[in-house]
Amino acid sequence: MSIKLEKVVQTFYENLEEGKITAKKCTKCGNVEFPPVYACNKCGCWDMEWIEISGKAKLHSMVMPAPLSMKPEYKALGKYCYGEVELEEGARFNAVVRGINKKKRDEILEKKMLPVNCKAAIYQRDGYKTVVFDYVEEE
Amino acid sequence: MAIMNQTKVNPYMRSVSIIGVGCTPFMYTVDREETNGLTEGELFGYAALKAMEDAGVSPRDVDFYFHGEASPLNGSNYLTPNIQIANWFGMKGKASIHHSEACCTGYYAIEEAVNAVASGKYNCVLSGCVEFGDGVAVPNHPYKREKMTMDRFLATTAWLYDRNYTRSFMAGQELIYDDAAEWYKRTRGITDQDMDDTLNWMCINNRRNASVNPLAIERTTYEELAKEKGFDNVMDYMRSPYNPKMGDFLRAGAIELKCDGAAAVIVCATDMVDKYMGNKSHKPIEVLGVGCAACEATTPHFEVTATEEAVRQVYEVTGVKPEEIDLFYSNDFIITSHLVSAEIAGYLPYGEGWKYVCDQRTAYDGDKPINTNGGRTSFGHAHAASGLADLYECVRQMRGEAGEGQVKFEAKTAMLRGYGGAQNICTYIIRTKD
Repeated sequence: MSIKLEKVVQTFYENLEEGKITAKKCTKCGNVEFPPVYACNKCGCWDMEWIEISGKAKLHSMVMPAPLSMKPEYKALGKYCYGEVELEEGARFNAVVRGINKKKRDEILEKKMLPVNCKAAIYQRDGYKTVVFDYVEEE
Repeated sequence: MAIMNQTKVNPYMRSVSIIGVGCTPFMYTVDREETNGLTEGELFGYAALKAMEDAGVSPRDVDFYFHGEASPLNGSNYLTPNIQIANWFGMKGKASIHHSEACCTGYYAIEEAVNAVASGKYNCVLSGCVEFGDGVAVPNHPYKREKMTMDRFLATTAWLYDRNYTRSFMAGQELIYDDAAEWYKRTRGITDQDMDDTLNWMCINNRRNASVNPLAIERTTYEELAKEKGFDNVMDYMRSPYNPKMGDFLRAGAIELKCDGAAAVIVCATDMVDKYMGNKSHKPIEVLGVGCAACEATTPHFEVTATEEAVRQVYEVTGVKPEEIDLFYSNDFIITSHLVSAEIAGYLPYGEGWKYVCDQRTAYDGDKPINTNGGRTSFGHAHAASGLADLYECVRQMRGEAGEGQVKFEAKTAMLRGYGGAQNICTYIIRTKD
C-alpha cells in the first residue's frame, strides 16, 4: 500500500473531541503506535490502520512535579506524577498520571507495587483535549 | 522497554585526527564592561583562529567550516549564522553549513567535521560553535545585548519539544529534569539519601575541577561557599536552603549555568598531519569512531535509551573496550547525566558509580576523572559551544597541557558523550596517535 498524505494529528484530536482515544496499528506486525504516526517503528511498515484503544495501561515509573517541572496551568490536574506508561496494546511513552502524590508514590515504592494499573482519560486543556491517565487502586 | 531501532556504523574511509583546538572563556558577557558588546563573529572568530594557531594552519589551509549555534534566532537575531560571521577569520568565500542539535550541537560538530574529511571530499576542516545563552542580541542594534531572562529562556526551550503530541501530553518536557535520577535510584536500588548525596558530590566535584580552570565561569569551591555561610561541613551546606530542592531529586546546584562562549576544532586527514602541522610538536589525536542515536521526548527514559544505543555503536565500530577509556566527558546540564552516562559507557562499574562520585574518585585528581573542566554546572553552558569546550579540555589533558587541573596519569584514550535537543545523543572515542 502506498503512503497517503493524511491529517493524522488533526484526526487524533478530533477523535478526542468525540470521546475516542485512538492509535495507529501496523497491519503487518500488529505493533500499536501511540500517539499515532505514519509508520510502524517496530517493522517499518507504513500500512497502518486506526484503532480505538481500551485505555487500560500500566505505570512503570514515577517522578513528582517540582518547581522545575510544573507550570501554572498544571494545577488543574490536581495531584499527579509523570512517568512511563504502557498501554494494554503495547505502546510505551511518557505521560501524566493523576491520583498520585508523594505519599502515594512512597507507598507504591515501599510495597514494591510497580508497575501499577492506570487508565486513560480525556483531559480538557486550553482550546483542545488531550490524554492523561488516572491511577487505578488495586482492590 | 520502548521500541528502539539500531544502526550499524561502518569504519571511516580514511583516518581523521584532531590537530588544533580553541576555546573562549565561558562568560556572562553583559555583566562586565570588558566583555559587554562582544559579538558572534568575535567569539567564534577567536575560537576558530585559536584552533588554527594551535594546529599550525592558516585559514587558507582550511577547506570548509561547520558552524553550530543552538538557538541563533533567539540569541543572535540570525537565521543563517554561518554566513553572518563568514568574513571574520580569513575564510571569505569558502563554503560552510550551520547546524543545531541544541545542547548536543558541539558534539555533532565533531561527527560532521570527521565525516567531511573521512569521505575524502575535504582534507582539513574547521568546526566551531558559538552561543549567547545569557546575553541575547538587541534587535536593530549592531552590537548591544541584554540579559536573557529565565521566562524568555524557558519559553524558547519549549521549542525543543514536539508541538503535536509532547507539549500537549505535558510529560516529556518535564521529565528531562528528574527522569535519569529516578531511573538510577530505582534500577540500582539506592536510597533517596544516597541519591541526594551523589547529586551533591557531583556538584562539588565539578566545582573543584572548575576551580583550577581559568576558562570556567564559576571557580569558587563549595567548600569555600560553605565556610562563608558558617558551615563546617560542605555536605551540610549542600543539603541546606542555600542549595534548595528545585526538582523531585535535583537541587539548584545540579542545573547548568547558562552563559556565553565559543569553541572550535581543526581536523585533517591523519596521513596529511605532517603537511598541516608543520613544526608543531604535539601529537595528533585520532577520532576512532562516533556513535549517534536520538529519542524524542515521549520515549521513556530517553537519555538512557539513546545513550545505550550510541555507546553500543561506538564500541562496536572502534573495537575499543570500556576498560581502555582513561577520561570521560558528558554533557551534564542536568548533572545526573554524568553518572548515568559513565555507567552506561562502562567507565564506572554498573551500580557502583555513585560510590566513585561520593568518594571523589571522579574529580580531576581521582582515578576516574569526569568533566575535568567543571561540567555545565561550573564550567558553564554556552549551549552549542559546550560540547567543543569539552573536547578542548580533553585534548589539553591528553597532551598534558591542563596545568593545575592536569589529571594524575597519562590519558591516551577518551570518550565524550553529548546530549541535548530533546534528545540527540552523540558519543565518540578519541586516542592519541603515536
